[in-house]
Amino acid sequence: MDLAQARKIVEEALSGIEARVEEGRGFIEFIVSKENLVEAASRLKKAGFDHVKSLTVVDYKAEGKFKIVYYVSSYLNEDLAGVIVGIGTEVPRDNPKMPTLVYVWRSAEFQEREVFEFFGIDFEDHPDLRLLLLTPQVAEKRPLRKDFIVKEEPIIRTTPPTG
Amino acid sequence: MEGNGGNGGRVYVGNLDKSAKKAKQLVMGKLRIGKAVDWATAFSLWPVHLTTSCCGCEFAATWSPRFDAEQHGALPWVGARQTNMILIEGTVTKKMACAVRVTWEQMPSPKFAIAMGACAIDGGIFYNSYNIVRPWEIIPVDVYIPGCPPRPEAVARAIIELQRKIRKQRVVSKWIEEGWRPDKEYVKPKEDPCSWWRG
Repeated sequence: MDLAQARKIVEEALSGIEARVEEGRGFIEFIVSKENLVEAASRLKKAGFDHVKSLTVVDYKAEGKFKIVYYVSSYLNEDLAGVIVGIGTEVPRDNPKMPTLVYVWRSAEFQEREVFEFFGIDFEDHPDLRLLLLTPQVAEKRPLRKDFIVKEEPIIRTTPPTG
Repeated sequence: MEGNGGNGGRVYVGNLDKSAKKAKQLVMGKLRIGKAVDWATAFSLWPVHLTTSCCGCEFAATWSPRFDAEQHGALPWVGARQTNMILIEGTVTKKMACAVRVTWEQMPSPKFAIAMGACAIDGGIFYNSYNIVRPWEIIPVDVYIPGCPPRPEAVARAIIELQRKIRKQRVVSKWIEEGWRPDKEYVKPKEDPCSWWRG
Protein backbone atom coordinates (compact mmCIF):
# COMPACT_ATOMS: atom_id res chain seq x y z
CA MET A 1 0.00 0.00 0.00
CA ASP A 2 1.35 3.43 -0.83
CA LEU A 3 0.69 6.76 0.78
CA ALA A 4 -2.09 7.79 -1.61
CA GLN A 5 -4.16 4.77 -0.68
CA ALA A 6 -3.46 5.35 3.00
CA ARG A 7 -4.60 8.91 2.59
CA LYS A 8 -7.92 7.68 1.20
CA ILE A 9 -8.40 5.35 4.16
CA VAL A 10 -7.62 8.07 6.67
CA GLU A 11 -9.84 10.60 4.94
CA GLU A 12 -12.69 8.10 4.98
CA ALA A 13 -12.12 7.47 8.66
CA LEU A 14 -11.98 11.18 9.44
CA SER A 15 -15.12 12.10 7.46
CA GLY A 16 -16.97 14.87 9.24
CA ILE A 17 -13.89 16.11 11.09
CA GLU A 18 -12.23 19.15 9.67
CA ALA A 19 -8.57 18.36 9.02
CA ARG A 20 -5.74 20.23 7.35
CA VAL A 21 -3.59 17.90 5.29
CA GLU A 22 0.13 18.49 5.03
CA GLU A 23 1.83 16.27 2.54
CA GLY A 24 5.41 15.94 1.45
CA ARG A 25 7.70 13.34 0.01
CA GLY A 26 7.08 10.18 1.99
CA PHE A 27 4.96 11.64 4.76
CA ILE A 28 1.45 12.83 5.34
CA GLU A 29 0.00 14.64 8.33
CA PHE A 30 -3.55 15.43 9.31
CA ILE A 31 -3.84 18.45 11.60
CA VAL A 32 -7.14 18.64 13.45
CA SER A 33 -8.36 20.97 16.15
CA LYS A 34 -7.63 20.28 19.80
CA GLU A 35 -11.25 19.43 20.57
CA ASN A 36 -11.50 16.84 17.80
CA LEU A 37 -8.16 15.14 18.44
CA VAL A 38 -9.34 12.30 20.67
CA GLU A 39 -12.29 11.56 18.38
CA ALA A 40 -10.05 11.56 15.29
CA ALA A 41 -7.51 9.34 17.00
CA SER A 42 -10.05 6.75 18.08
CA ARG A 43 -11.46 6.67 14.54
CA LEU A 44 -7.97 6.04 13.17
CA LYS A 45 -7.55 3.25 15.67
CA LYS A 46 -10.78 1.69 14.46
CA ALA A 47 -9.44 1.94 10.91
CA GLY A 48 -6.49 -0.25 11.90
CA PHE A 49 -3.71 2.05 13.09
CA ASP A 50 -2.84 0.36 16.38
CA HIS A 51 0.29 2.04 17.75
CA VAL A 52 2.20 5.32 17.94
CA LYS A 53 5.63 5.14 16.36
CA SER A 54 6.80 8.53 17.46
CA LEU A 55 5.60 11.82 18.80
CA THR A 56 7.09 15.06 17.56
CA VAL A 57 6.67 18.64 18.64
CA VAL A 58 7.71 21.72 16.71
CA ASP A 59 7.99 25.04 18.48
CA TYR A 60 6.81 27.87 16.18
CA LYS A 61 7.93 30.75 18.31
CA ALA A 62 6.99 33.56 15.93
CA GLU A 63 3.49 32.19 15.37
CA GLY A 64 3.10 31.42 19.06
CA LYS A 65 2.11 27.80 18.77
CA PHE A 66 3.29 24.23 19.18
CA LYS A 67 2.53 21.63 16.54
CA ILE A 68 2.24 18.15 18.02
CA VAL A 69 2.08 15.21 15.64
CA TYR A 70 1.57 11.54 16.52
CA TYR A 71 2.98 9.21 13.86
CA VAL A 72 0.88 6.07 13.83
CA SER A 73 1.14 2.77 12.02
CA SER A 74 -0.05 -0.79 12.35
CA TYR A 75 1.32 -4.12 13.47
CA LEU A 76 -1.72 -6.32 12.97
CA ASN A 77 -3.04 -5.01 9.66
CA GLU A 78 -0.54 -6.10 7.05
CA ASP A 79 -1.71 -3.61 4.43
CA LEU A 80 -1.32 -0.66 6.74
CA ALA A 81 1.97 -1.89 8.23
CA GLY A 82 3.94 -0.33 5.39
CA VAL A 83 2.73 3.24 5.87
CA ILE A 84 3.07 5.82 8.61
CA VAL A 85 0.60 8.66 8.87
CA GLY A 86 0.61 11.62 11.19
CA ILE A 87 -2.32 12.86 13.23
CA GLY A 88 -1.76 16.03 15.13
CA THR A 89 -2.95 19.29 16.53
CA GLU A 90 -1.75 22.77 17.36
CA VAL A 91 -1.83 24.36 20.79
CA PRO A 92 -1.09 27.97 21.79
CA ARG A 93 2.36 28.57 23.14
CA ASP A 94 1.42 30.55 26.22
CA ASN A 95 -1.06 27.99 27.54
CA PRO A 96 0.01 24.59 26.17
CA LYS A 97 -2.71 22.20 27.27
CA MET A 98 -4.09 19.35 25.26
CA PRO A 99 -5.97 16.09 25.81
CA THR A 100 -3.91 12.94 26.17
CA LEU A 101 -4.09 10.08 23.71
CA VAL A 102 -2.86 7.46 26.18
CA TYR A 103 -6.31 5.93 26.43
CA VAL A 104 -6.43 5.53 22.64
CA TRP A 105 -2.85 4.35 22.06
CA ARG A 106 -1.10 3.05 25.17
CA SER A 107 2.30 3.36 23.48
CA ALA A 108 2.03 7.15 23.61
CA GLU A 109 2.44 7.24 27.39
CA PHE A 110 6.21 7.59 27.74
CA GLN A 111 6.51 9.80 24.68
CA GLU A 112 4.00 12.21 26.14
CA ARG A 113 5.99 12.26 29.35
CA GLU A 114 9.10 13.14 27.39
CA VAL A 115 7.30 15.93 25.55
CA PHE A 116 6.00 17.20 28.87
CA GLU A 117 9.45 17.59 30.35
CA PHE A 118 11.18 19.02 27.28
CA PHE A 119 8.43 21.41 26.13
CA GLY A 120 6.20 21.80 29.16
CA ILE A 121 3.08 20.72 27.31
CA ASP A 122 0.46 19.64 29.81
CA PHE A 123 -1.42 16.50 28.78
CA GLU A 124 -4.75 16.57 30.60
CA ASP A 125 -5.83 13.28 32.22
CA HIS A 126 -2.48 11.63 31.58
CA PRO A 127 -2.23 8.76 34.09
CA ASP A 128 1.40 9.34 35.11
CA LEU A 129 2.75 12.72 34.07
CA ARG A 130 6.12 12.70 35.84
CA LEU A 131 9.59 13.64 34.64
CA LEU A 132 11.24 10.89 32.64
CA LEU A 133 14.83 11.76 31.71
CA LEU A 134 15.71 15.14 33.17
CA THR A 135 16.30 16.34 36.69
CA PRO A 136 13.70 18.82 38.01
CA GLN A 137 16.20 21.69 37.92
CA VAL A 138 16.86 21.18 34.20
CA ALA A 139 13.30 20.31 33.26
CA GLU A 140 11.85 23.54 34.58
CA LYS A 141 13.90 25.43 32.00
CA ARG A 142 12.05 23.49 29.23
CA PRO A 143 15.25 22.89 27.29
CA LEU A 144 13.87 22.13 23.83
CA ARG A 145 11.82 25.31 23.52
CA LYS A 146 13.17 27.89 21.13
CA ASP A 147 13.65 30.50 23.84
CA PHE A 148 16.07 28.26 25.72
CA ILE A 149 19.39 29.48 24.38
CA VAL A 150 22.35 27.12 24.42
CA LYS A 151 25.64 29.00 24.48
CA GLU A 152 27.62 28.12 21.39
CA GLU A 153 31.29 28.19 20.62
CA PRO A 154 32.15 31.25 18.54
CA ILE A 155 32.98 30.38 14.96
CA ILE A 156 35.48 32.58 13.18
CA ARG A 157 34.58 33.24 9.57
CA THR A 158 37.47 33.20 7.15
CA THR A 159 35.41 34.11 4.08
CA PRO A 160 32.65 36.75 3.88
CA PRO A 161 29.13 35.32 3.98
CA THR A 162 27.48 34.84 0.61
CA GLY A 163 23.83 35.46 -0.23
CA MET B 1 37.01 -11.41 87.00
CA GLU B 2 33.80 -12.35 88.71
CA GLY B 3 30.59 -12.56 86.84
CA ASN B 4 32.00 -12.46 83.35
CA GLY B 5 31.64 -15.88 81.79
CA GLY B 6 32.10 -17.68 85.08
CA ASN B 7 35.36 -19.04 86.33
CA GLY B 8 38.45 -18.00 84.42
CA GLY B 9 36.61 -15.64 82.08
CA ARG B 10 38.53 -12.55 81.01
CA VAL B 11 37.67 -9.25 79.46
CA TYR B 12 40.36 -7.44 77.53
CA VAL B 13 40.05 -3.70 77.58
CA GLY B 14 42.03 -1.50 75.24
CA ASN B 15 41.98 1.10 72.52
CA LEU B 16 41.06 -0.64 69.30
CA ASP B 17 42.27 2.22 67.10
CA LYS B 18 45.63 2.22 68.83
CA SER B 19 46.17 -1.51 68.48
CA ALA B 20 45.06 -1.42 64.86
CA LYS B 21 47.61 1.30 64.21
CA LYS B 22 50.28 -0.75 65.90
CA ALA B 23 49.44 -3.80 63.85
CA LYS B 24 49.54 -1.69 60.69
CA GLN B 25 52.94 -0.29 61.58
CA LEU B 26 54.20 -3.79 62.23
CA VAL B 27 52.94 -5.14 58.91
CA MET B 28 53.83 -2.18 56.73
CA GLY B 29 57.01 -1.16 58.52
CA LYS B 30 58.84 -4.11 60.01
CA LEU B 31 57.60 -6.82 57.71
CA ARG B 32 57.73 -4.57 54.59
CA ILE B 33 54.91 -6.08 52.64
CA GLY B 34 54.00 -2.74 51.08
CA LYS B 35 55.67 -3.67 47.83
CA ALA B 36 53.70 -6.88 47.68
CA VAL B 37 50.48 -4.95 48.32
CA ASP B 38 51.26 -2.59 45.44
CA TRP B 39 52.09 -5.47 43.16
CA ALA B 40 48.99 -7.41 44.10
CA THR B 41 46.64 -4.47 43.69
CA ALA B 42 48.16 -3.50 40.35
CA PHE B 43 47.27 -6.89 38.94
CA SER B 44 43.79 -7.07 40.33
CA LEU B 45 42.16 -3.87 39.11
CA TRP B 46 38.56 -4.88 38.76
CA PRO B 47 36.37 -2.30 37.07
CA VAL B 48 32.73 -2.11 38.02
CA HIS B 49 30.03 -2.58 35.39
CA LEU B 50 28.77 0.97 35.16
CA THR B 51 28.15 1.94 31.57
CA THR B 52 27.44 5.64 31.48
CA SER B 53 27.51 6.15 27.73
CA CYS B 54 28.37 4.91 24.27
CA CYS B 55 32.06 4.24 25.05
CA GLY B 56 30.71 1.17 26.85
CA CYS B 57 30.84 -0.61 23.48
CA GLU B 58 34.60 -0.09 23.37
CA PHE B 59 34.77 -1.15 26.98
CA ALA B 60 33.07 -4.41 26.01
CA ALA B 61 35.40 -4.85 23.05
CA THR B 62 38.42 -4.38 25.29
CA TRP B 63 37.48 -7.44 27.29
CA SER B 64 36.50 -9.47 24.23
CA PRO B 65 38.81 -12.34 23.11
CA ARG B 66 40.55 -10.23 20.47
CA PHE B 67 41.97 -7.60 22.82
CA ASP B 68 41.60 -9.61 26.03
CA ALA B 69 42.19 -7.06 28.75
CA GLU B 70 41.78 -9.83 31.29
CA GLN B 71 45.43 -10.68 30.68
CA HIS B 72 46.28 -7.54 32.67
CA GLY B 73 44.42 -8.90 35.65
CA ALA B 74 41.37 -6.70 35.16
CA LEU B 75 38.00 -8.34 35.28
CA PRO B 76 34.72 -6.40 35.02
CA TRP B 77 32.54 -7.24 37.94
CA VAL B 78 28.92 -6.45 38.74
CA GLY B 79 28.93 -5.57 42.41
CA ALA B 80 30.41 -2.24 43.42
CA ARG B 81 31.53 -3.66 46.75
CA GLN B 82 33.77 -6.28 45.14
CA THR B 83 35.56 -3.87 42.78
CA ASN B 84 38.33 -1.32 43.11
CA MET B 85 38.27 0.57 39.82
CA ILE B 86 35.66 2.62 38.03
CA LEU B 87 35.94 3.16 34.31
CA ILE B 88 33.77 6.08 33.27
CA GLU B 89 32.67 5.52 29.70
CA GLY B 90 31.94 8.81 28.03
CA THR B 91 29.35 11.42 28.90
CA VAL B 92 27.98 11.56 32.39
CA THR B 93 24.48 13.02 32.46
CA LYS B 94 23.12 14.73 35.53
CA LYS B 95 21.10 11.71 36.54
CA MET B 96 23.97 9.32 35.90
CA ALA B 97 26.29 11.46 38.03
CA CYS B 98 24.28 10.33 41.04
CA ALA B 99 24.81 6.69 40.11
CA VAL B 100 28.54 7.28 39.60
CA ARG B 101 28.95 8.96 42.96
CA VAL B 102 26.89 6.35 44.83
CA THR B 103 28.89 3.55 43.20
CA TRP B 104 32.15 5.30 44.04
CA GLU B 105 31.18 5.67 47.67
CA GLN B 106 30.25 2.00 47.89
CA MET B 107 33.59 0.77 46.56
CA PRO B 108 36.19 -0.20 49.18
CA SER B 109 39.50 1.72 49.26
CA PRO B 110 42.03 1.70 47.70
CA LYS B 111 40.10 2.55 44.56
CA PHE B 112 40.92 4.19 41.24
CA ALA B 113 39.14 5.89 38.38
CA ILE B 114 39.81 6.03 34.66
CA ALA B 115 37.91 8.51 32.49
CA MET B 116 37.39 7.34 28.94
CA GLY B 117 36.57 9.40 25.88
CA ALA B 118 36.49 13.06 24.94
CA CYS B 119 33.24 13.65 26.84
CA ALA B 120 34.81 12.51 30.08
CA ILE B 121 37.66 14.98 29.69
CA ASP B 122 35.75 18.18 29.02
CA GLY B 123 32.35 17.43 27.60
CA GLY B 124 33.36 16.51 24.05
CA ILE B 125 30.61 17.29 21.57
CA PHE B 126 28.26 17.98 24.48
CA TYR B 127 30.55 20.70 25.85
CA ASN B 128 27.71 23.23 26.12
CA SER B 129 24.89 20.89 27.01
CA TYR B 130 22.53 21.66 29.85
CA ASN B 131 22.42 18.07 31.05
CA ILE B 132 26.00 16.90 31.59
CA VAL B 133 28.58 17.05 34.34
CA ARG B 134 32.34 16.58 34.10
CA PRO B 135 33.45 13.34 35.77
CA TRP B 136 36.32 15.05 37.57
CA GLU B 137 33.77 17.11 39.46
CA ILE B 138 32.29 13.92 40.86
CA ILE B 139 35.22 11.57 41.55
CA PRO B 140 39.05 11.84 41.49
CA VAL B 141 40.28 10.59 38.10
CA ASP B 142 43.70 8.94 37.74
CA VAL B 143 44.05 8.35 34.01
CA TYR B 144 42.31 10.03 31.08
CA ILE B 145 41.92 8.35 27.71
CA PRO B 146 41.29 10.74 24.80
CA GLY B 147 39.38 9.66 21.73
CA CYS B 148 35.83 9.57 20.47
CA PRO B 149 35.60 6.69 21.20
CA PRO B 150 39.08 5.46 22.19
CA ARG B 151 40.28 2.24 20.64
CA PRO B 152 40.32 -0.87 22.86
CA GLU B 153 44.11 -0.77 22.74
CA ALA B 154 43.98 2.67 24.34
CA VAL B 155 41.83 1.32 27.15
CA ALA B 156 44.27 -1.52 27.74
CA ARG B 157 47.09 1.04 27.69
CA ALA B 158 45.31 3.08 30.35
CA ILE B 159 45.07 0.02 32.59
CA ILE B 160 48.79 -0.61 32.16
CA GLU B 161 49.49 3.07 32.85
CA LEU B 162 47.50 2.85 36.06
CA GLN B 163 49.38 -0.30 37.08
CA ARG B 164 52.66 1.49 36.47
CA LYS B 165 51.49 4.46 38.53
CA ILE B 166 50.46 2.23 41.42
CA ARG B 167 53.76 0.32 41.46
CA LYS B 168 56.13 3.24 40.83
CA GLN B 169 54.54 5.78 43.14
CA ARG B 170 53.59 3.08 45.67
CA VAL B 171 50.11 4.53 45.83
CA VAL B 172 48.42 1.66 47.59
CA SER B 173 50.94 0.99 50.34
CA LYS B 174 51.14 4.69 51.15
CA TRP B 175 47.36 4.83 51.14
CA ILE B 176 47.19 2.04 53.68
CA GLU B 177 49.95 3.56 55.82
CA GLU B 178 48.42 7.01 55.92
CA GLY B 179 44.82 5.96 56.05
CA TRP B 180 43.96 8.30 53.18
CA ARG B 181 45.38 8.87 49.76
CA PRO B 182 48.37 11.20 50.00
CA ASP B 183 48.94 12.02 46.32
CA LYS B 184 45.37 12.90 45.36
CA GLU B 185 42.90 15.35 46.75
CA TYR B 186 39.60 14.10 47.99
CA VAL B 187 36.92 15.20 45.56
CA LYS B 188 33.67 16.30 47.05
CA PRO B 189 31.00 17.36 44.55
CA LYS B 190 30.18 21.05 44.84
CA GLU B 191 26.49 20.34 44.59
CA ASP B 192 24.84 17.12 45.59
CA PRO B 193 24.46 15.03 42.41
CA CYS B 194 21.56 13.11 43.95
CA SER B 195 19.51 16.14 45.00
CA TRP B 196 16.88 15.39 42.33
CA TRP B 197 16.41 11.98 43.84
CA ARG B 198 16.48 12.83 47.53
CA GLY B 199 13.96 15.57 46.88
